[in-house]
Amino acid sequence: MMIDDKILDAATVWAVRTQEPDFDDWPAFGAWLEQSPEHAEAYDHVLAAAESGAEVLAAGPANDVEPIAVEQPRRWLFPAFAASLACVAAVWLWNGQGGAEVYSTAPGEIRSIALADGSTVVLSGNTRLVTDSDRPRQARLEQGRALFEIHHDDSAPFSVRVGGATLVDAGTIFDIAIRDRQVSVGVSEGAVIYNPQKQNARIEPGQVLSFDKSGPGYDYSAVPVDQIGEWREGRLTFQNAPLTDIAIEISRATGIEYEVDKDSGNFQVSGSVMVDPLRRDPASLGPLLGIETRRHGSAWILKAQ
Amino acid sequence: MSEHPIEGLQAVFLANRDTLLRFLRARGAGEEAEDVLQEVWLKIVHARTGPIAAPMSYLYRTANSVMIDRYRSQKQAHLREKEWSDANSGTLRGVSDAPPADRIIAGKQLAQQVEAALQQLPARATDIFRRCRIDGLTQREVAREIGVSVSTVENDLRSVYRVLAALRERLDEE
Repeated sequence: MMIDDKILDAATVWAVRTQEPDFDDWPAFGAWLEQSPEHAEAYDHVLAAAESGAEVLAAGPANDVEPIAVEQPRRWLFPAFAASLACVAAVWLWNGQGGAEVYSTAPGEIRSIALADGSTVVLSGNTRLVTDSDRPRQARLEQGRALFEIHHDDSAPFSVRVGGATLVDAGTIFDIAIRDRQVSVGVSEGAVIYNPQKQNARIEPGQVLSFDKSGPGYDYSAVPVDQIGEWREGRLTFQNAPLTDIAIEISRATGIEYEVDKDSGNFQVSGSVMVDPLRRDPASLGPLLGIETRRHGSAWILKAQ
Repeated sequence: MSEHPIEGLQAVFLANRDTLLRFLRARGAGEEAEDVLQEVWLKIVHARTGPIAAPMSYLYRTANSVMIDRYRSQKQAHLREKEWSDANSGTLRGVSDAPPADRIIAGKQLAQQVEAALQQLPARATDIFRRCRIDGLTQREVAREIGVSVSTVENDLRSVYRVLAALRERLDEE
């Protein structure tokens, strides 16, 4: 019984998280389990593997003739081994370098991070945020979507890098969503500047600025302020959004794999959906948005009617 | 709340019976979900605990651990059946103490394979795994102890779990 790698990856995320005594996102775990019986199997598999591994390690070294109680030195703390650590760091970049910390979520997960300066960032599914404890007023959103509630400090603006772009703010609430060809930044309180050194475009509450990932172009749209960050409450609203972006957005929020039929990518759709009902019935996205859905393996394909 | 903690927990259980049942089905209990829920109830009733800040979380966690125990028993029962049928397969007739010796050799091989698998990872990852899973520290405690962030600890645990899960898959295929 070979389990799909992606399912094993997700099961691993849940296995590690659920074993922490303060874990409380059981409904989200339940929702992930309900997507397929393979998920529960994978979860049990990973937990059992971890338990066996722990038993084996606890029993002692495999090749000894008789057990010797030797304290294993905590190698990575000693400068003499810094050279070997550098190689390890190069291979394991995702663990961060220096004071860098990487926060990542599985598809369908929502996670709240408290930053050192009192700011909060809520990560949507399939999202990766990098922070640096040496630079508490900076962050980098490498993937996904996040809502930032930044502690106000006029003397020390907070900046978020997304690809080559920089978003700067003195103390506001704003939502950044990385999409297929653009990145959208919506502000609910305060103001954010897009690329102060270049475009220097200001984003006010109720505005969403969408900038091209590869190119200098950007445009504004208006959004009701209370819609900014509504994804935290499990709602997603689209206004003339291309199906490709909708698929990305809904996949990360639900953990369900939605893809777009090759000719339907630019088809624009407007509508508002709740995440939980979709987890129970992925096909219901079709009638909600006026498009076709069909199953293809583990994915759901979206197509313009 | 002035009521006894266990009574409060029971009330939350009864009010959320359907949710817990649904969770157990999602976990794979299938037709036996009602029986498993009974086991969860018995655990709640006999629990020795002080005030619980998050009763629903406690209930979910209890349900989850009952399912984990069931999975473990089912696997062990399967292995015992296998050993029994191996011992009685004819080739080992009259050598009734062979299975325990085989088990020792198999155990050593497993230990070698686990160690080989973990050597692909930085030493820190294995040590973090030990501190959490064998010594029982929380991720936060380990993070403080070795001076890294909680997310680093979590990432390392994921790496180790992933490697062990892959190893277990390979061994299951044999």
